[in-house]
Amino acid sequence: MIHIDRILPSYFQESAADRSELWRQPVHIAPGERIQIQAPSGSGKTSLTHFLYGLRKEYTGTILYDGVDLQSMNADQLADLRREKMAVVFQDMRLFPTPTLRQNFEIKRQLTGFHSESVPIQWAKQLGIEHRLDTPANLCSYGEQQRASIIRALLQPFRWILLDEPFSHLDDANAYKAMELILEESERQAAAVLLADLEIIPYYPSTRLIRLHS
Amino acid sequence: MKKPSFHIIRPLLLTGEKSSSRWFSYIGLGIGVLLLLLSLQLYIDIQSLVKQTSIRKNGLDYISVTKTITNANMGLDNRFSPADLDTLREQPFIQGAAPLISNRFEVVASAGDRIPFSTDIFLESLETEFIDTVPPEFDWKPGQTVVPLIFSSDFLEMYNVFAPSYGLPQLSMETASNVVIGLRCEGLKGGQVFRAQIVAFSDRINSLLVPKSFLDWANMEFEGLPSANASRVFIKTKDANNPELLEFLAKKKYRVNKEKTAFGRSKQVLQGVIAGLGIFGVLVIGLALLLFSFYLQLMVARSRDNLQLLLTIGYRPDWLSRQVARRFIPVYIIVVAISLVLTQLMQYGFHQFLMFNRPELSSWLDPTVWVAAIILAALSIFTNLRMIKKLLYKIL
Repeated sequence: MIHIDRILPSYFQESAADRSELWRQPVHIAPGERIQIQAPSGSGKTSLTHFLYGLRKEYTGTILYDGVDLQSMNADQLADLRREKMAVVFQDMRLFPTPTLRQNFEIKRQLTGFHSESVPIQWAKQLGIEHRLDTPANLCSYGEQQRASIIRALLQPFRWILLDEPFSHLDDANAYKAMELILEESERQAAAVLLADLEIIPYYPSTRLIRLHS
Repeated sequence: MKKPSFHIIRPLLLTGEKSSSRWFSYIGLGIGVLLLLLSLQLYIDIQSLVKQTSIRKNGLDYISVTKTITNANMGLDNRFSPADLDTLREQPFIQGAAPLISNRFEVVASAGDRIPFSTDIFLESLETEFIDTVPPEFDWKPGQTVVPLIFSSDFLEMYNVFAPSYGLPQLSMETASNVVIGLRCEGLKGGQVFRAQIVAFSDRINSLLVPKSFLDWANMEFEGLPSANASRVFIKTKDANNPELLEFLAKKKYRVNKEKTAFGRSKQVLQGVIAGLGIFGVLVIGLALLLFSFYLQLMVARSRDNLQLLLTIGYRPDWLSRQVARRFIPVYIIVVAISLVLTQLMQYGFHQFLMFNRPELSSWLDPTVWVAAIILAALSIFTNLRMIKKLLYKIL
């Protein structure tokens, strides 16, 4: 269970909370929920993802994971949370640039050994980047890198998955395939999905919509 | 946490490997460890060499101490009072102190008709445990007319030097032991002639020693006085070259047998030089580790993005730092092992070629040096892990 309790980026004015369904609001996310966070540019969508993933701490209010305050976790506890419970797809992908896509997957897969070696290859096939497996990540297109970063995110056990504009470089057909893969894996792991995007994504069967700024 | 393989992330961390500072730091560490181990072994060598230079009994040194006579204290009583003796005995580096009690009456020794020689002499007595050679017959009871005597070997040697000039025969130790010496004791309250016989020779004590029971009795009998404070005291110590002892004696302005402590002074100088060498070694090790920390900082700075991303996707900083540190463990062990081997070679050469006639030395390293090497290796590995951890947690 995630409890987001009245948080607001410390670099935001208090007035930013006036027309928000999340800033300065108590929000609880139950296991298996599918949340759509809709937010226009500059309304703090990436900030929220970073706060929830423990990458940044410039906010007031509290974020609790199973009752534990994210801010109170040390570096190793945070690493454990990310490795065992929390998957993420960053808007800026964040793949290792010089290793190949296959190596990028292995770096993540070997961390837990949760999936077998054939799984990322199968998913790469499913998302149409199989032919790029042995290409260094920095030589792949944004679209290919985005699909690779989705695969990498899924290569671990997780109870929550954070998606920050995960399909911004994909056409509808590829985005749909990626969505399917994400939903399939999160359902298998009974995980909650938090998808943040500029617009409402029609093929995302969300159970709740939260507008960061309406 | 399942143990991920370091193999796959290794290229991400160790980018830009051509760092000469790393090699300089290894060489520096090697030199520092070598200096430190070498100075430790030399220190141990000197200790064992010094132990063998003085006349010892039961592992103890015996030295005689007098008060230094200067123009300032010339007319004063420069004998040791009971309080002086107590102060000496209280010192932790002194295992015992005994006064050399002397006669208060006149004594004239003569060697009978065969050797027409007579001289005023002095008699002294000392607790038997301080005397190097004490035969069972060195004992006297009132009524006994023969007084056993322990004679200084140096005095016999001196006699043999000047005897021919006076037309006197030179004497061997055996002959001297057979000569019956007449001892004429005279004081204010009376006198008596005794026969004295040399029962032993002493290398340690430059005196004519008689049993204490005789001197106490004679002082009282002939002079009516108990044995007086002594002007000489014998000290029993574990190490006559102990700097603390020498410092204490110097402070008290006591004069000691220079020959016995001369090595002590050179030992002090040598130990100073070796301590300097050791401190230099420690400094070099410190500098080497500093240089290594610069290399690590450079390595972490170059791999900063990769390290950050690894931590972002769930790699534990604790695990990562241990993996990076582990890579350097063999290097540290090899560096210390090479230094240890070089120290061993030097010790072997030192003993075999320079100190070959000193059986008290060993060609092999002292176990302390081995322990020091292990501690140094462990310390380097630990410091290295600490530095890596610190750097990694800093980039979070």
